[in-house]
Amino acid sequence: MNCQISDIERKVLVVLQEGFPASRSPYSDMAKSAGLETRRLLAILEDWKRSGKIRRIGAIINHLKINLSGAAMVAWQVEPERVEQVGNILAQYSQVSHAYERQTAENWPYNVYTMIHVADIEQINEIVEQMSQRCGVSKFRILATEKELKKVPPKYINTDYQ
Amino acid sequence: MKSKRKNWNVAAKYSKCLNNLMDKTDSQILRELQDNFPLCERPYEIIAEKLHISNEELWKRIRRLIDDGVIRRIGASLDSRQFGFCSTLAAIKVRPEQIGQACEIIEKFSEITHSYLRKDEFNIWFTIIASDQKKIKDILEHIRTSLSLEKSEILNLPAKRLFKLDARFHNYIAAP
Repeated sequence: MNCQISDIERKVLVVLQEGFPASRSPYSDMAKSAGLETRRLLAILEDWKRSGKIRRIGAIINHLKINLSGAAMVAWQVEPERVEQVGNILAQYSQVSHAYERQTAENWPYNVYTMIHVADIEQINEIVEQMSQRCGVSKFRILATEKELKKVPPKYINTDYQ
Repeated sequence: MKSKRKNWNVAAKYSKCLNNLMDKTDSQILRELQDNFPLCERPYEIIAEKLHISNEELWKRIRRLIDDGVIRRIGASLDSRQFGFCSTLAAIKVRPEQIGQACEIIEKFSEITHSYLRKDEFNIWFTIIASDQKKIKDILEHIRTSLSLEKSEILNLPAKRLFKLDARFHNYIAAP
């Protein structure tokens, strides 16, 4: 599969994809299962963090448990030359967790996508209306989240066959 | 302590929201765990020292935040593209009676990491992370044919540019 992944990277990915163990010495425990010295693992993680291969290390919060039960993806139809400007404005909102430019599809002209979180879904229309005016983008589609169907951490290395 | 614990559960049951019951120390712990998780042999000791609490106190609170579901997991979030993986956001338009079948298919693929039911004619949305583009195409084609969807009833919307990715929700974990 991925020719870019070295053997040692593969070992690290295998332990990382399981999440940190619930122990007080998570790195030593992961190093042990990967068959590496702890300082070697720490050096690799330092390096990945510096190069951006690791975006963030730490806790992942369930937003439904912290007063944010309303969520919607909003798909915006932005003129190509304004994507940069609009994307940056939308990214500044604290309610926005994710903002991407994406390819369009046939009969699907939306090219900028934001995930928006609010305490109550009733507040979505209001905040989207504010964003729309601020960005000067009038064409958008609110895709309110009704239910989480699946949420699992990515599995980079298939360990079933190893 | 016992009665406080009981209150937690009651609140969880009725409001699903634990925010009002997290104290200042919990908020500080969440912030440290999200922003400054140390890369060293004993990371929790560093955090305990920084927050002027004992290791036992920190560990007890972290366990509680995990048990109550506030913390989903502790780990490293990777930029999968930098490791050579491909990803996309996809959507399908399915009839209400097909939703169960669609969920089963989505569940089966380990490459599909997130999926949500949304209020739109494109009602099921999901993200795929796979080793190459062909794998993504194959998964989408499998889903399309299994559910007898027209080509116009499935969207493949790979990212071109990232403007923001920050699901830490700092403003909402405010200390009371």
